[in-house]
Amino acid sequence: MDIITFGLISASVILLSSVGFALIVQVEGFLNIAHGQMLLLGAYSGLFLSNLGLHIIPASIGAAIFCGLVGALFYGLLFRPVKAKGVLVLLFTSVGAAYVIYGVVGAIAGKRMLAFDLPLVRAMKLFGQPFMTIYELAIVIVAIAVALCLHLFLAYTPAGKSIRAVADNEDLARARGIDPLRTSYLVWFVASALGGLAGVFLGIMGSLHLSMGWQQIIIILATTVLGGIGSLYGVMLAAFVIAFGIEIGLIFVPASYRSGLAFLIIVVVLLVKPQGLQALWGGGRDRTH
Amino acid sequence: MEGLILFAVSISTLGAIYAMLCLSLNLESGNGPLWDLGIVSFFGIGAYTYTLLTADPALEQQSFLLGLGLPMWIGAIGAAAGGGIAAWLIGLPTLRLKREYFLIATLAFAEIIRQVFANENWLTNGVAGIYGLRQPFKSYFDAADYSYVLLALTLCGLAFTWYVTRRIIASPFGRACKALRENEPLAITAGIDPQKTSIRLFMISGALSGFAGMFYVWYNTLIIPGQFVADLTFFIWAALIIGGIGNQRGALVGGFIFIFLHDSLRFLQVSGEMAVAFTSLRTALIGLALILILRFRPEGIFAERPVRFDLPALKREARDA
Repeated sequence: MDIITFGLISASVILLSSVGFALIVQVEGFLNIAHGQMLLLGAYSGLFLSNLGLHIIPASIGAAIFCGLVGALFYGLLFRPVKAKGVLVLLFTSVGAAYVIYGVVGAIAGKRMLAFDLPLVRAMKLFGQPFMTIYELAIVIVAIAVALCLHLFLAYTPAGKSIRAVADNEDLARARGIDPLRTSYLVWFVASALGGLAGVFLGIMGSLHLSMGWQQIIIILATTVLGGIGSLYGVMLAAFVIAFGIEIGLIFVPASYRSGLAFLIIVVVLLVKPQGLQALWGGGRDRTH
Repeated sequence: MEGLILFAVSISTLGAIYAMLCLSLNLESGNGPLWDLGIVSFFGIGAYTYTLLTADPALEQQSFLLGLGLPMWIGAIGAAAGGGIAAWLIGLPTLRLKREYFLIATLAFAEIIRQVFANENWLTNGVAGIYGLRQPFKSYFDAADYSYVLLALTLCGLAFTWYVTRRIIASPFGRACKALRENEPLAITAGIDPQKTSIRLFMISGALSGFAGMFYVWYNTLIIPGQFVADLTFFIWAALIIGGIGNQRGALVGGFIFIFLHDSLRFLQVSGEMAVAFTSLRTALIGLALILILRFRPEGIFAERPVRFDLPALKREARDA
């Protein structure tokens, strides 16, 4: 029972943090290491807002919007100008951006561990067993709702279609009258906002500390690889596989091996299916980069 | 003034260690086809192998394996061998993967290895680490002068690494690696086995990184798992990119420049509260430098230069020989 509960909660946070990352991988074609620091930024700006006296819900929405704007700004200032120079340059620009966020947040917030000041609640009961608190339940519901909305958004709205078109073939999309620039800004906003929201949730579940971004990016990378680079639905599935894999694995190994376990899972999967979980439904075969 | 000189000597030593790692990374990622985000694992394994071979047996309150107290030259061989063997073991499964997947898989292994260092107390004394490790030739010199000796030793190590990587890059094997980097299908048609070449390259790089790990132990006189986090990998990559990826001189200079950028601010005396903010801003500064270099000079300070072969002259030479 505990495994299901904790697995579900951590899967939700992993899901939220990874879909944004996967979206950027899909559209821009590189691994945005700075995404982990978006979580850090989200968590700390959420804390800042809630310390101002805001309720946790508007605070987390505010943090998400703030992160989204920062993400769009980063794209315009840092990534777009170097896009022509190749994947490696983009990747290490994002490493640089990650250090900038990390450094600035650290300079302002300091190295102490912080936490959201939320009223304590008792875990709800399900079939007489303690299940999860209202916060945790909210996190799970929001994560699943976000995944669903993202799917509907990508599949049915014009903006979502333009994202998929640009991800697939930028030149063709341009020829069909889609402005890739606007689409890219949109992607960066949505992806970073989701990252920021995930950061707030991560902070609610545990505590806020400076290395949370680096720790989470490792899990995000594991999830993305497991799902298959560039596959959104693969990543959604992978978030659950990783989360439950970790929870089950923790029965056998000490808790300090958490992210190690995530990686062990992906190493095993990659050896069997080098394209990740998306290979299950035939995706990722034509990918060249 | 004296303090300033000592500080300069100290960060030069660290810079030389970074430069060694940069050269080793340049060999596989700049010159070769392998984008390795796990170079810190070989560095760490080299450092731990060296420590476990040469340290005195564990005291009562400590617990780590071996502690054979062997002479240092055996430790040096052990460090390189440890790095190389680790690279072989990691390379076996991961070298089947391409670019980004390889990148993440190596990062994954580095993280797993760090967690092993931190958790397996019987092997490494865990997060408490191992302290008071000996430095070479310490008894022959005055303690005050020893930092110069250590700098000289590290520079010798750097020169050795420089020589080895230079020879390898100039060799047919090095050219095969470069061919794989440029165009794998073409390299295969030219008779280069990508699997074999890659794993050899990976092992050589791992051995060189492990060798550099030994100097890190000498420099710190202690070893803790916290020294071998993924940050270090990113730092080495940043240093290599700043210097110029694919260029030996770039790798050499990049290591030193990075350390001067990163650590020169440490000399400023500030109050405690400020110091915390300062270390963070230092990291932000590094990030900014990396972004600016990539933006305005993505090839780094020293760009990679194509090697030209004077074919008629070479033919003539071959005929005369």
